[in-house]
Amino acid sequence: MAPSDEVGRREFLTLLGAGAALLAGCAPGGSGTTPGGGTARPLSAAFNQAINDLDPHGASAVDEASLLANRQIYDTLVTRNGGEAAPSLAISWRQPDEKTWEFTLREDVTFHDGSKLSSADVKASLERLAASTGPQKPLWASIDAIQAPDAKTITITTKEPLGTLLVNLSLAFILPAAQLGKEGFFRKPVGSGPFAVESFTPSAQLLLKAAPKYWGGAPALTGLRLPYIPETSTRMTSLQNSEVDITWIIPPDELARLRGVDGLEVESTPGVNYFLTWFNCGRKPFADPQVRRALHHALDLKSIVASLYGEAATVMDAPIPAAVFGHAAQDPYAYDPDLAKKLLAEAGHGDGLRTTMMWFKDTGPLATELAQSFISAWAKVGVTVEAQQIEKAAWIKRLTALDWDIELQVNTVTTGDADYTLGRLYTSAANRMGYASKKLDAVLADARSTPDQDRRKALYGQACEIIWKDAVGIFPAALSATYGLRSTVKGFQPAANGQPEFRTVSTAG
Amino acid sequence: MTFFIGRRLAQALLQIWGAITIVFVALRVLPGDPAELILGSQATPDQLTELRAQLGLDDPLLVQYVRHLGDVVRLDFGESWRQGMAALDATLVRLGPTLSLAVWAMVFTVVLGFLSGTYAARHANSPIDHLISVTSLVGQALPPFWIGIMLSLIFARGLQILPSTADGTMASLLLPAFTLALPFVGWLGRLVRTGILEEMNQDYVRTAQAKGLSRRVVFYVHVLRNTLVPVVTMLGLLMGNFIANGVIVEVVFAWPGIGTLLVDSISFRDYAVVEAVLTVVTICYIILNLLVDLLYGYLDPRIQLENA
Repeated sequence: MAPSDEVGRREFLTLLGAGAALLAGCAPGGSGTTPGGGTARPLSAAFNQAINDLDPHGASAVDEASLLANRQIYDTLVTRNGGEAAPSLAISWRQPDEKTWEFTLREDVTFHDGSKLSSADVKASLERLAASTGPQKPLWASIDAIQAPDAKTITITTKEPLGTLLVNLSLAFILPAAQLGKEGFFRKPVGSGPFAVESFTPSAQLLLKAAPKYWGGAPALTGLRLPYIPETSTRMTSLQNSEVDITWIIPPDELARLRGVDGLEVESTPGVNYFLTWFNCGRKPFADPQVRRALHHALDLKSIVASLYGEAATVMDAPIPAAVFGHAAQDPYAYDPDLAKKLLAEAGHGDGLRTTMMWFKDTGPLATELAQSFISAWAKVGVTVEAQQIEKAAWIKRLTALDWDIELQVNTVTTGDADYTLGRLYTSAANRMGYASKKLDAVLADARSTPDQDRRKALYGQACEIIWKDAVGIFPAALSATYGLRSTVKGFQPAANGQPEFRTVSTAG
Repeated sequence: MTFFIGRRLAQALLQIWGAITIVFVALRVLPGDPAELILGSQATPDQLTELRAQLGLDDPLLVQYVRHLGDVVRLDFGESWRQGMAALDATLVRLGPTLSLAVWAMVFTVVLGFLSGTYAARHANSPIDHLISVTSLVGQALPPFWIGIMLSLIFARGLQILPSTADGTMASLLLPAFTLALPFVGWLGRLVRTGILEEMNQDYVRTAQAKGLSRRVVFYVHVLRNTLVPVVTMLGLLMGNFIANGVIVEVVFAWPGIGTLLVDSISFRDYAVVEAVLTVVTICYIILNLLVDLLYGYLDPRIQLENA
């Protein structure tokens, strides 16, 4: 071969090598430079869901992971504190009449870019949210007008009385009006929350740095890294390997093991996520409440839930978890297979019954196992249930089309208030599971409109009772919010909704 | 040459069009659409209709398809509803990590494959040769997700000497790159071993030895170089494989590449991103194939491209 060929080939190989080195240089997932040039690495906290989008009014607006990110970056007018609305950007509010709310804003608030937050920002943000077509739309359907009479006052008028306004406002994040609509704003958005965005790779990693001028006091941490680790086993490994400092949710089968690992701690709190099993009350055979109750009596929920979840879940005594505002405990359906058979026979199904149950695997921990234990218990009372484990998109399609008999899902009471679940899902107008009750409709409408929180609580209690007694569904288990953290993490409070606060967290050692 | 490249470009365009069409149809055949996933299980029919209209999903499929083709020609795959940015940007952000993983997997494959293959050929039918064959067969048979999880359990959870997730260091590349490479190390090793043994029986080897060259020189200067021709061309295809099939390894090691993006986008019916990712992967494959063909002719001038 000619010598020139020789050189060409060597050059080629050299180039290939150089290319490889270049690519290696861009190894992903780095935490970048430490804010302030310090040596401390940011606290690393891995939730089990991906943060996709930092637009708090967009398509991911009620994703738990998006809410987690939004709570660090942005502020809301009010927050929730154990069922009560607590001041945040609004320091006080009053109701001149039942359709009007007036909020007085905090005055010392600045966005991360240094600009001052005023009522114009609040007005623009709320109007953007009310006009959005995303999943928060139903919460804002009855807003009539939002006005900013002066720089520190916001007035919201509603078309009808809205007792849930304060609760809903705890999901309404405030953005700087001047930057809304700017191209690429949500790649590195600006908010007024305790942490500012340093860099963001959707569904991979969000890197935050402390906002030293935060009105509630600067965070103790210099930075916060929120990586997404899709594989549970890897997520557990990364906690043990000190790659992450906190991770949640811990699956039920890992809790006991992690407790035994040196240098780790496990914390849990009753959560707002729960399993529910609806019956399609609009079609046979579940149009008959007798059949629905029979299926409930056929399940030994106590032992099923205890053996599958241990301390990670508790059997529910209402259609919403105990941690939710408006929960009222009901009498459990006793485990009684004979009674179940008797009820089925009375309903004309003495020869047995064939039906189907659908769910998608990732709806919650051990969903398939839970579904299978139901199906085998039902088989013992003569009810043959065909298992339909399908993909999430197919499940949603069939669910909304009411094309199913029984379905299993994990539901989230995103606001922590019964209205979010009961008020939206169980009305005859919503028609989510074919159930229609004029009495329940009236109670829920009343509960939504009254601003008197005690009265709301009593009304949701009534709603819980109606739904429970009519056995619209079976509510097997409320899931605990379970966190694993390194012992070096101080000041961490487990949050029921999976959206912990990091402002007060610090690390030692 | 010009004719060859022109013909290949025309073929490439046809292949890209085919890929786009198949992906478009496959996505629309799947039950569920983005509007349903955005609004979730709480959606009302009115909201769904409104959002579908806004996303252009209420037009007839043929209209959507023609519009889509027009957009793709302008490199516009549309906005990703999940990533909150243009789908192509979302894909390109993730292409870097996938490429660096693929390059390192390639480095592992080439180094380990050549070493083991050469050694096995030099000591053909020795116990070590047999050991290498068995190990390479086992390596090819084990599923990558299992290897990945095991390596992660051993080196990250047990020994705690390597990170289990992408943390920006070179160390975090080791486990995923090795997992991706492992099945192909044995494959390449066997290819190299067979190639060398075949070359050793060629006439020119006997000639070279007859004119007094040492065994060593014959082996490294003549035999090994000629073995390279088929191997290098296979490596081009392997690179495409690493880019397209890193999905499982990316998920296990939380590697922010196009594989994890693709899986997520399919389950959430983020049409724009699925289409952008698969088009980019198709283009990568076509480019690599083209390079392989060119390289083939370059390494072995006897091969005429016009007839390839």
